[in-house]
Amino acid sequence: MALYGYAGKILHLDLTGQKSDAIDTEKYRRWGGGHGMGSALFWDFCKDKSITDGRHPANVCCVMTSPLNGTVVPSAGGRCEVVGVGVGQYPVSWFTRSNFGGRFSTMLKYAGWDGILITGKAPKAIWVDIRNGKVVFRDASGLWGKGTWATQQEIWRLIGAEPGTRNDWQDLRDLKGGSDRDEGKTTQKPAVLTIGPAGENLTGHGSLIHDAGNGAGQGGFGAVWGSKNLKAISVLGTGGIKVADPQALIRARRTVKEKYVTNWEKPDFRAWTRLGGLPKPIVQVAPPTPDRRPQSCQGCINGCRERYSVGYGNESACQETSWYGPFVRKVAKSRAEDTEINLRCADIVQKYGFNSFVLQTGLHWLEHLHEEGVLGKGKKIPSDLPWEKIGTVEFGEKLIVALSTRKDIGADLADGWVQAALKWGREKDLRTGALQFSYWGCPEHGYDPRAELEWGYGSIMGDRDTNTHCFNQIFTTISAAFAFGMTIRIEAEEMVRLHVRKMAPYAQDRPEVLDFSDANMYSEAVAQLVRWQQHYCRFWKQSALFCDLKWPDFYNTNMPNLEGATGSPDAGEQVFWNAVTGDRISLIDGIELGRRIWNLDNAIWVLQGRHRDMVHFAPYLYETKYEKGELFPFYMWPCRDEKGVWKYTDLMGRKLDKAGFEKWKTVFYRLEGWDPASGWPTRQTLEKMDMSFVADELQKAGRLGGGTS
Amino acid sequence: MNVPMTIPDEALARRILAAVPYKDRFPAGRLRPPVGILPGTVRSLHELHLLLTPDDRSLPGVNLSALADWVEKAVGDGELARKLRTDTANAASYVEGCLKTYELVGARLVQARTAVGGEESS
Repeated sequence: MALYGYAGKILHLDLTGQKSDAIDTEKYRRWGGGHGMGSALFWDFCKDKSITDGRHPANVCCVMTSPLNGTVVPSAGGRCEVVGVGVGQYPVSWFTRSNFGGRFSTMLKYAGWDGILITGKAPKAIWVDIRNGKVVFRDASGLWGKGTWATQQEIWRLIGAEPGTRNDWQDLRDLKGGSDRDEGKTTQKPAVLTIGPAGENLTGHGSLIHDAGNGAGQGGFGAVWGSKNLKAISVLGTGGIKVADPQALIRARRTVKEKYVTNWEKPDFRAWTRLGGLPKPIVQVAPPTPDRRPQSCQGCINGCRERYSVGYGNESACQETSWYGPFVRKVAKSRAEDTEINLRCADIVQKYGFNSFVLQTGLHWLEHLHEEGVLGKGKKIPSDLPWEKIGTVEFGEKLIVALSTRKDIGADLADGWVQAALKWGREKDLRTGALQFSYWGCPEHGYDPRAELEWGYGSIMGDRDTNTHCFNQIFTTISAAFAFGMTIRIEAEEMVRLHVRKMAPYAQDRPEVLDFSDANMYSEAVAQLVRWQQHYCRFWKQSALFCDLKWPDFYNTNMPNLEGATGSPDAGEQVFWNAVTGDRISLIDGIELGRRIWNLDNAIWVLQGRHRDMVHFAPYLYETKYEKGELFPFYMWPCRDEKGVWKYTDLMGRKLDKAGFEKWKTVFYRLEGWDPASGWPTRQTLEKMDMSFVADELQKAGRLGGGTS
Repeated sequence: MNVPMTIPDEALARRILAAVPYKDRFPAGRLRPPVGILPGTVRSLHELHLLLTPDDRSLPGVNLSALADWVEKAVGDGELARKLRTDTANAASYVEGCLKTYELVGARLVQARTAVGGEESS
């Protein structure tokens, strides 16, 4: 029987024995793909699930695709999910996840693999050369120490892939190391996923980088690979993916274009929608030149990155193009210079395979320590970095080198920023907010948990900064409209109605779930919102791999009734899934599968040692107020007033109440069917999801929740 | 744009072009979807001007009410502070207030640079 959408096999790389074998995808089909399959593989193959540092040899890392990868599903064809125990979190590095785009996942599918399971540790540095079904472990001693771009170029050279874009077919038999048994032709270069010096040096900042600017940053998976002596995986595939119902797939894709996306001939540049906006780069600085073109993940309808004729900043987008911004302003003489420094420093973090997100709040803390006379040459925290040149490319590069190679302050920061703060005697900075690492030792994202509850609560109940923008666009859209004094295209009551129409099974037609007012912030309703987001994301975004920036589409001003594509009968997520796989699932079925995956993840966290007593935000979120209007004039969100009237309301100026949040946790655990005393799942809950095997292992470890749900 | 502010003398001009000490920094964020609100500070009017330069990808985040006080007390330019208070109070929206501030600060920087003969202070 054809397994539509899937390649049919998962590649197991046993690094210790330098052997590979194929696992039948069918065995893991119940988990969908991506994160779900990765968690299930971790569960089966990790021999010690109590480990709390991803650099432990028992750690298992999975790089997973989805059935939708390699197809034309809009903004779902080119993402790739990575799971395993992470590095650098506090107090524990949880089993966690990251995600990157580009063409790696699609190439892996075309090579015949639904994912890669990485176990063990190679005795010396290696890279893995995958050409369709052929898998070869190769010596990486010549690659170790190289940056991520140089590594990819060297692998292309070693394989014999010509530089530049091909306009004719490359026969796999003609490549270096090719043989008569290598069938297939391609116009593509191998897709390479690699680590740079940050990963080689086992720092928590280590990312996985693919092509110029696709990175899996959170989780420190670069260090995980570094600990396994795995420098890179290269894949070249020449096959294809069988789609169950190609007509239905094309019909749904056309529906998105014709119905939900802004009309190209009469564009609405300010449309309120996630899926239906015009293609837009998310580079955070002004373009360095008008000579530029869009660049995107395979199958995406957006194109959020760019390439420039100036030769720097190519394919970097989002946070890595702004990590240095507030400091560059101190030295840049003009907007053009500001752009150039920022983009050159984006290139540096890409090449070092460095997760720049820690610097978004972390560099302000380091500057604070330096200016207070605590950090610097001959200071209590010694540092020979040229702090007087902060904002320059020179300082930016020296900082990234230090943090990537454990030099200077990088020696202490490599294993976690909160750990470094404690080592340096700066515990008070976690209380004052001088160091804003909000949840599990991860930096505050830019959406403060004291205002945007689902972001903060979702992060702390999970394993990392959630970085899921399902509801977050309410804040950005409405706040921008207020800032410009523009017409509010969707009023607060209508906005919440449009959301909750699509929020079955937990919150359908319950608008109160989106009420973030003081009176409702610790409610059962908000707990249902967080559940919906976590379960939706675990399947639809992290397993089916719909892009976080395009889905879900709750509201859409391109539609006369303002309803977005999410869950719709003509272009909802489930329509694409079913067209590709031949399944007959609903949006809710996917959310239910997400609940199972979430429960499997929680079981792993429990085996790692999680207990509700550990589930706390950083102290500053309880002890200090979110300064009203300090960094932005307002944080607008729909709330009900004391008379029950919905209004867009400013959420700044408050802090979290620890007792209130503790009560909220109890409600959340009860709704999940977890023991509220411990946060551990109960047998009853797990058995209802056909997960007795999980209950058995938890019971064996003495960590099964008691009581009933 | 014709901004009716008197030309600063050299001493004031140098203050306008200089950076204030770290302890006198002014909080200034930036909303950059989808990254979020990025924290930051400014320590000079030049830095503030760069922060306020309009672009179509993000919005500056400053407390316009507090900004005039900072310009008066930390930078030491009372005339610019008074002008900021008047003009931003009449702005139709926050963004318009930022644009007016951007124009006023830009004009003031030009005046100051002229006053010191084109040389930059630091």
